[in-house]
Amino acid sequence: MSNVALELTNVRKKIKNKEIIKDVNLTIRQGEVYGFIGPNGAGKTTTIRMIVGLMDLTDGEIKVLGKSIEKEYKDAARNLGAIVENPEMYPFMTGRQNLSHFARMYDDVPKGRVEEVITLVGLDQAIDEKVSKYSLGMRQRLGIAQAILHKPAVLILDEPTNGLDPAGIREIRDYIRRLAVEDNVAVMISSHLLSEIELMCDRIGIIKHGELITEQSVKEDSEEADQSEIKVVLDVKETEEAIKVLASLELKAEKEGSQLVSLMTRETIPQVVNKLVESGVTIYGVTGVKPSLEDQFLELTGGNIIE
Amino acid sequence: MSNFFSLLYNELFKIYIRKSTWVMYIILGLIAVGGAIIISSFDDVQPTEYTDNWKEELQEENEALHKDNEEFGYSFNDDRIMKNEYLLENDIRPLNYGAWQYTLENVGLVAIVSLLTIIIGSSIISNEYKWGTIKLLLIRPISRNIILLSKFIAIFVFGLFTMIYLFLVSMLGGAVFFGFEGFNPSTVIMTANGIEYVPIVGEVMSEYGYRIVNLIMMTTLAFMISTIFKNSSIAIGVGIFLLMGGNIITGIFSQYEWSKYLLFANLDLKMYETGNILIEGMTLGFSITMLIVYFVVFVALAWLFFNKRDIVNQ
Repeated sequence: MSNVALELTNVRKKIKNKEIIKDVNLTIRQGEVYGFIGPNGAGKTTTIRMIVGLMDLTDGEIKVLGKSIEKEYKDAARNLGAIVENPEMYPFMTGRQNLSHFARMYDDVPKGRVEEVITLVGLDQAIDEKVSKYSLGMRQRLGIAQAILHKPAVLILDEPTNGLDPAGIREIRDYIRRLAVEDNVAVMISSHLLSEIELMCDRIGIIKHGELITEQSVKEDSEEADQSEIKVVLDVKETEEAIKVLASLELKAEKEGSQLVSLMTRETIPQVVNKLVESGVTIYGVTGVKPSLEDQFLELTGGNIIE
Repeated sequence: MSNFFSLLYNELFKIYIRKSTWVMYIILGLIAVGGAIIISSFDDVQPTEYTDNWKEELQEENEALHKDNEEFGYSFNDDRIMKNEYLLENDIRPLNYGAWQYTLENVGLVAIVSLLTIIIGSSIISNEYKWGTIKLLLIRPISRNIILLSKFIAIFVFGLFTMIYLFLVSMLGGAVFFGFEGFNPSTVIMTANGIEYVPIVGEVMSEYGYRIVNLIMMTTLAFMISTIFKNSSIAIGVGIFLLMGGNIITGIFSQYEWSKYLLFANLDLKMYETGNILIEGMTLGFSITMLIVYFVVFVALAWLFFNKRDIVNQ
């Protein structure tokens, strides 16, 4: 297993006696992309502000590569790159001037790095225009550019897909995956829309009312996937016959219109198909339906309600 | 430490890249040269050109000044008459009006430099909140103290540059419209000890220097207010009000003994040179101590609020 890059231990935040974040524990490893999902107002941005040192912790600890953000701020901050909420830049400066400005805040960002980053995020065309003329998508790219200037080990992106069109989202998704795989960067992406970031994450955590209510892998291990039951839809001609066959394998099936729906593990699917064929059942189709994360998310959070 | 200069460079870059800064400079430049244009285009306010016959010219001038005094029944020309008499007694040829004297007279425009510095000082922190860039600034591996310090120093570097600009524009304007008196001319001035013959350069330095005290204190006050309230309008308003109205406030309370502890009572250190001390018992040491105390309090408050705050949206 790779090393822990970001670690939150029993993190709490109280603002004016209201508990905004209640005992959040969370670990992100190097090279892992973590989706931080929650409805608006659940405490995503507050958590992110604490990680990057913009807010004090009421209780608990946050460590970046083992360095506490509160006690060893400089060492921790050196390894962090972030966009917090909207990627706001100096509007009266060009993209290049903005990047140079932030590059000067590090001791060890070489001169050529700014150019390198501009090409990486694909802003070569517009980099010498003033940021006030940028579209939201261009500002998002510039935001990512400033966050990776100093090659941080941990990258925090707050709603990076906000205001992007599907093509833009795909581009950012590819780019983030590349950072994680090639540079071993730990990436934390927050979003209130699961569907937008589901595809780029290895793991997601869902936060609601300041509590991390569930964490799960997006791309489950094949072994694990073989063990868990999934919904299988069987499109067959002789439904009654098929139900009997399934019963002989100790599987329950329900009739939904002209189709049968059953719960079984991935491993048993070929077995079931064999049996059905042997019994002379005509099969038009077999579809495994994975419960979508979106469904689970909505079930867990009770929809996207601002509280 | 090299890092600190990068931060200072960043702050100055953000000040001087903006058009509004250059508009301020153009306005200040126009005002600084405007005086010279007005003086040189109206005959009756033209300064006298002294020739080799300067002794007679001075005597004639004094007679005319005496006549004016009698006509108006008020001796507003006395200073000038005494200066002229001093020149005649000591056989000093009067200096023709030129760039140095014009620059000396422009010392009042330091108030505008103060005004611009207050505007910059009031907005250097609050603008970062307004633009939302405060978040990007405070997630770097640099402590908030250093960021605050770099901004604070940047304000005074701006003030210094603007002061130098005012000086250069005044010299240039004066030289173009009235001529240049040389690199180290001397002139007669009124001091606490009567009339003295001194080099103008020193006089310019001391006149501009005394007003820097006011600039530094008012800017620091405005910087503190804007850091606490994250709002530049309040800070600019208070700063300008106190810059303009400080003397009036001191005037109202000057009958009370405690008024010597007011910031405004201590801003004009020149009073110890001229002898017009505002409240009896005040000394230069007392005023400098008071100024340092106020300065430290302002900076400490700004530091406390900037350092302890959770950064959230406005």
